[in-house]
Amino acid sequence: MHFLQVIFQRLLYLIPVLIGISIITFVLMQLTPGDPIRLLVGQRATPEVIAAVRAHYGLDLPAYQQYFVYMSNTLQGDLGNSIPYQRPVTELILSFLPPTVFLIVYVICITIPTTVFLAILSAKNEGKLLDQIINQFTVLGLTIPVFWLGIMMARLFGVELGWFPVTGYGKDFIGHLHHLFLPAISTSIWLVPVLLRNLRVAIIEQMKSDYVTASQSKGLPERYIFSHHILKNSILPTLNLFGVMVTYLIGGSIVVETVYAVPGVGKLIINSILGRDYFVVQGITLFYAMATISVTLIVDLLSALIDPRVEL
Amino acid sequence: MKIKQTLKAAAFTAITFFATSGGIALAGDVIRIASPYKTTTLDPVRSASAGNIETFGQLYSRVFRRAADGSLAPGLAKSWDLAADGKTITLNLRDAKFSDGSALTSEDVAFSLLRVRDHEKSAYGVTMKQMADAKPSGANKVIITLKNPSAPFLGNLEVFNVGIVSKKDVEARGDEIAFSKSPLTSGPYMVKEWLPGDRLILAANPNYWRTGYPKNAGAEFIEIDDPNSRVSSLLAGEIDAVRTIPWPQVAELQANSAVDVPLEPSTVIYMTLMNHSRPPFDNLKIRQAAAMALDTKSLAKAITFGHAPAANTTLPRLDFHHSGFSVNTYNPAKAKALLAEAGGFSGEAVLLVRSSNADQQLATLIQAQWAAIGLKAKLEIVDAGVWWDRVPGGDYDASASWWYNETTDPDLAVGWALCGECGTKAFYTTYNNPKVDALMEAGATELDVAKREKIYHEIQEITTTEVSQIPLYYPPFANAYSKRISGLIMTPALQWTLEGATVN
Repeated sequence: MHFLQVIFQRLLYLIPVLIGISIITFVLMQLTPGDPIRLLVGQRATPEVIAAVRAHYGLDLPAYQQYFVYMSNTLQGDLGNSIPYQRPVTELILSFLPPTVFLIVYVICITIPTTVFLAILSAKNEGKLLDQIINQFTVLGLTIPVFWLGIMMARLFGVELGWFPVTGYGKDFIGHLHHLFLPAISTSIWLVPVLLRNLRVAIIEQMKSDYVTASQSKGLPERYIFSHHILKNSILPTLNLFGVMVTYLIGGSIVVETVYAVPGVGKLIINSILGRDYFVVQGITLFYAMATISVTLIVDLLSALIDPRVEL
Repeated sequence: MKIKQTLKAAAFTAITFFATSGGIALAGDVIRIASPYKTTTLDPVRSASAGNIETFGQLYSRVFRRAADGSLAPGLAKSWDLAADGKTITLNLRDAKFSDGSALTSEDVAFSLLRVRDHEKSAYGVTMKQMADAKPSGANKVIITLKNPSAPFLGNLEVFNVGIVSKKDVEARGDEIAFSKSPLTSGPYMVKEWLPGDRLILAANPNYWRTGYPKNAGAEFIEIDDPNSRVSSLLAGEIDAVRTIPWPQVAELQANSAVDVPLEPSTVIYMTLMNHSRPPFDNLKIRQAAAMALDTKSLAKAITFGHAPAANTTLPRLDFHHSGFSVNTYNPAKAKALLAEAGGFSGEAVLLVRSSNADQQLATLIQAQWAAIGLKAKLEIVDAGVWWDRVPGGDYDASASWWYNETTDPDLAVGWALCGECGTKAFYTTYNNPKVDALMEAGATELDVAKREKIYHEIQEITTTEVSQIPLYYPPFANAYSKRISGLIMTPALQWTLEGATVN
């Protein structure tokens, strides 16, 4: 019941957050110079045609009226239509969502085992050669720009060796795994080091704590102490960081999606911003807000499950 | 231990699978084209932007088509008659069908032509502005009457937005629905699936009027914004044709035996726009100084790696191009003198730049060469949305940009880029010379080829001398093609020869 209460409460918080975000996005888009109609009709249209098209889409109304029309539609579950494509925003977001979700899950599946394995290895060999090598690699992973790495990996594994496709999403599950392998690796290469450094320090701290010494003196097996005490206690701070990183990934997939031409939400939002497709930008922003709040909620619930002392 | 073994086995299987599958499955007879230019609408009258132009050409046949040599050839009209007064055109239509098998009639043709001229959202109605009326006469004849005899009109009937659409369907479903997902098409292809913002999947139209065409099963127009990704996808064999590769990569791709880079001739011109409504470029001498300050030959060489000649007039290389003409050529000493004569310019001109690498490079070179004669300019880098807000709004001093013409006849080009009273204010420079406008009218109604040539030469002489814009260079199309396919090129009218392309 307690969990349900928390979930309900968080969902209530969503309402003011979403209203606030919708106003901010709307104002920002209104303040951004640029004309979606000109981009749609091309360079040769006369001012009369542009005015006619603008009026047709209701873009000639005063800003506050546009916002109220938008909000009243949104409250009825209608996020509006994309200006150039004349398709419902929800339909567009849903069609671009699967590649992004697949990519994020893929990244998580690669990142978690790698991080945990390397962090344990590194912590258990603290200060030794292996630890230092792993450390060097994390620095490298953190400093290589993703777009450059993406281009280089596409050239090496896609063009030279022909192992992996360099663009697109694939048609079936295996195709998705194959197509998104390079984008997922490119993302994991910077994500693993972020989490790894955090987890390594936490493990080392826990290994040196009093309860571990006490357990050792009672003769508990090292393996048991590590898996049942040290790891559980170390994972918590990293889990929170992981939650933040996942929410970042939802919005931060833009670079890899551009480099590997993955038709995901990142590509959609970039195109919508450049094309001044107001309703799509607003729709995606609301969607991001909801996704961020949901991920935070899940992480909090997981933290409480792992550590009963954590209060929700 | 068991877990370790399972992991090992899984890793091995995965690596073997990926390594042996060797890229993606072959795409069969479908030709995949990657382009940064987007398809944003399927309604041929609604847009004149590059990606849409390329798409419209594949979906909608016109009454004429261009033969390989560029001449006007029969399309949906198997023949045509021009009356002696030059004002009445009779189109004799062939038996043709739309993609759903319904008959394409004279009603559809008349409706489509009038729609270009009259639809309130028609983005480029000027192609049909000389048309007084278009009337069906029986099932297979259309009578077009013109306001005046018009030399470019027949050619305009081949332009991308004059594609024939189904009157019955558009009237029944309405504009928005009829063109939203699967329009009835009269061209070589029909829409199999459109994923806006990602790709347009075309399938061969089984009812296409040209027997034996298209010579492939279909095509995919895939949007890939990043130029490096486009090149990688071509080299990896995932894409068959790539639009607009970066100039520095042309030589590398030409040396690759699996790729063709034919550098097809285009009607593209790169030029520097100038705002004639405010200082400094409202002053003719300063404009001439700015033109003479630019070493366009070196500039073209630096940007395109020697693949584009310098431009010599304000028009692209169309019919009646004044190739022998030369004025305001590179002469920094004279440029300095002209600037001094004009009283100099103490401020900083705003040089508006779009955010692509090539545009920034070009703007930087222009800025440096202007600085050398004492004309200061500051770069303001903006995205296309802002650019299209500020240039038509007159909020700029200069900007390097490009345009092309969709026919080889110069009439539409003059109307859009040089005519002061034609709605687009001479490509938003506000250059306005009534003599040029009058010559444009004369050029459109003059039917004698030699006289027309004289008129268009004069237009180029006046506008280049008065520096309506500074011509920079004439680039070919930098498209690259996989040798998996044959017969695909881009015509100067920005149309793919897709229907004749085959998969080897």
